[in-house]
Amino acid sequence: MKQYAIVGASAAGLSCAKTLRTLDPDCEITLFTDEPFLPYSRPIISYYLKDKVQADQIYLQPSDFYTKHRIRVRTNTRVAAVQTGTLTTEGGETLKFDKILLATGSVPFVPPMENVGAQENVFTFLTMREAERLKAYAKPNMHAVIIGAGLIGLKAAEGLRPLVESVTVVELADKVLPSILDDEAAKTVRAHLDANGVETLLGDTVVRAEGEKTITAVTLKSGKTLPCDLLVLAVGVRPNTVLAERAGAEVNRGITVNRDTMETTVPGVFAAGDCVRSYDILDGQEKIIALWPNAVREGMTAAYNMAGQEHKDTGSFAVNAIDFFGLRICTCGLIRAEGATVLTREGEGFCKRLLVKDNRLVGFVLLNASERAGIYTALIQNKVDLNTLSGDLLDEPGLMLFSREVRTEKLTGGVRV
Amino acid sequence: MKKVIAREALCLDCKLCEVFCRTAHSKSKDVVRAHLYEDPAPVARITVEGDILDSVAVNCRHCDDPACVNACITGAMHKDPETGIVSCDESRCIGCMTCLAVCPVGCIKPGRTAVKCDLCQETGEPACVKNCPNRALVYVEVGGDAQ
Repeated sequence: MKQYAIVGASAAGLSCAKTLRTLDPDCEITLFTDEPFLPYSRPIISYYLKDKVQADQIYLQPSDFYTKHRIRVRTNTRVAAVQTGTLTTEGGETLKFDKILLATGSVPFVPPMENVGAQENVFTFLTMREAERLKAYAKPNMHAVIIGAGLIGLKAAEGLRPLVESVTVVELADKVLPSILDDEAAKTVRAHLDANGVETLLGDTVVRAEGEKTITAVTLKSGKTLPCDLLVLAVGVRPNTVLAERAGAEVNRGITVNRDTMETTVPGVFAAGDCVRSYDILDGQEKIIALWPNAVREGMTAAYNMAGQEHKDTGSFAVNAIDFFGLRICTCGLIRAEGATVLTREGEGFCKRLLVKDNRLVGFVLLNASERAGIYTALIQNKVDLNTLSGDLLDEPGLMLFSREVRTEKLTGGVRV
Repeated sequence: MKKVIAREALCLDCKLCEVFCRTAHSKSKDVVRAHLYEDPAPVARITVEGDILDSVAVNCRHCDDPACVNACITGAMHKDPETGIVSCDESRCIGCMTCLAVCPVGCIKPGRTAVKCDLCQETGEPACVKNCPNRALVYVEVGGDAQ
């Protein structure tokens, strides 16, 4: 009987465990997590913060799922090291496994700042524990400062807004959501945040904090001082590669994996999700694509190859959907590409921007225009020649863009009736 | 598993599938009330695309390896291992619409939560098929990986 270990219990880890079970009904699967929870949705913690979701609704699967599928989840168990065939916990146990997956995700990146760190009112926003701590600490008269206007920082801002007096987000880049939005869309999102009571200060960052046990104010690079009762560090994340490094695996920002199989340079040790360097099929570059669907797919690919079944990964690309105070943002692919043209349509409360290069769709940004966005995503993923389509690409997309033959194939999967 | 298959050549663009889908997923189950009076208004999970010259009804393909399930950040979107039906547990959906961003046929509707075809699990026969006057929609066994 094969024995599999999975380190990390989020998107990639759980998807690997589920896939392993379907591939091998007899194998033993152990999922290690240093958190006290069964696998839960990390993106949901901002909804927990603003009370849209309760603490018992964060889980990705009901608890009987793990007994039913015989997946042993070892909570509160930190893994100290892995090697080909063995795993050692911090508690000192050394266990034997046939194959091991590292799905260790990201850790918050904290830039050096003067007098920031040990105070009780400094938070990150990546785990349920931190969300619980933040929710318990936040009071209606407090001024919250968030460093970083990325997905995590802005979700923290949205979640905190109803709980505190003021929320100010400080971002070093010259726009909000710099990793997913172009300049124009970022302006719209910023105005929407402002209208909903979240102030954003761009091109600036925190350099120093006042207060020993508790931070009371922060000083910015520009010299400005903000009152601060609660500081959230959301500058960014970096891949959690500690175990891979200890194992002697190649790490270059993210863990290096075989693009087809997700195996690291240490035989029998695989890696998937935010901790690896993925291959972007759109620009051919290797990069960290810390997004959910990517992690799930890589976890599945790893599972096949851990079980010894041939299965090539289809490659990554960014696709993301998120909303802030009711504004829906949906993005995919590249934000900019050399020699690309941008097709734009704007109207009452919505905006669409499509990036086209060499007659292929390579990216999009949709604000309040998510309808059937998956059609665009498929055009990007399949690198469809736009000359083969009919109709205006900027209209709401649909299957009528395709020829009847292609459309019928998509709808029937080849079934003739 | 059994799926709804559209026969484009027979579609009249009458949109009765939309009407009866909306009704089947309404509170009242009454065509007129569902259309005029219910709040929130029930949503059709099937859409007739195209025009009078060339039209086809599009709803969920209940894919073997569903992109929407793989992309769901809460576990609300799931594929039933027994029936193969892909459905959204609306009590667990937070409305991020990541599923809309990845569905290759564009069949998921935005709302307070994501809304999609559940093959009328409760009645056992999809209302769209039952009420298609031209048999442009049929409900047939197509194989796939459901047990």
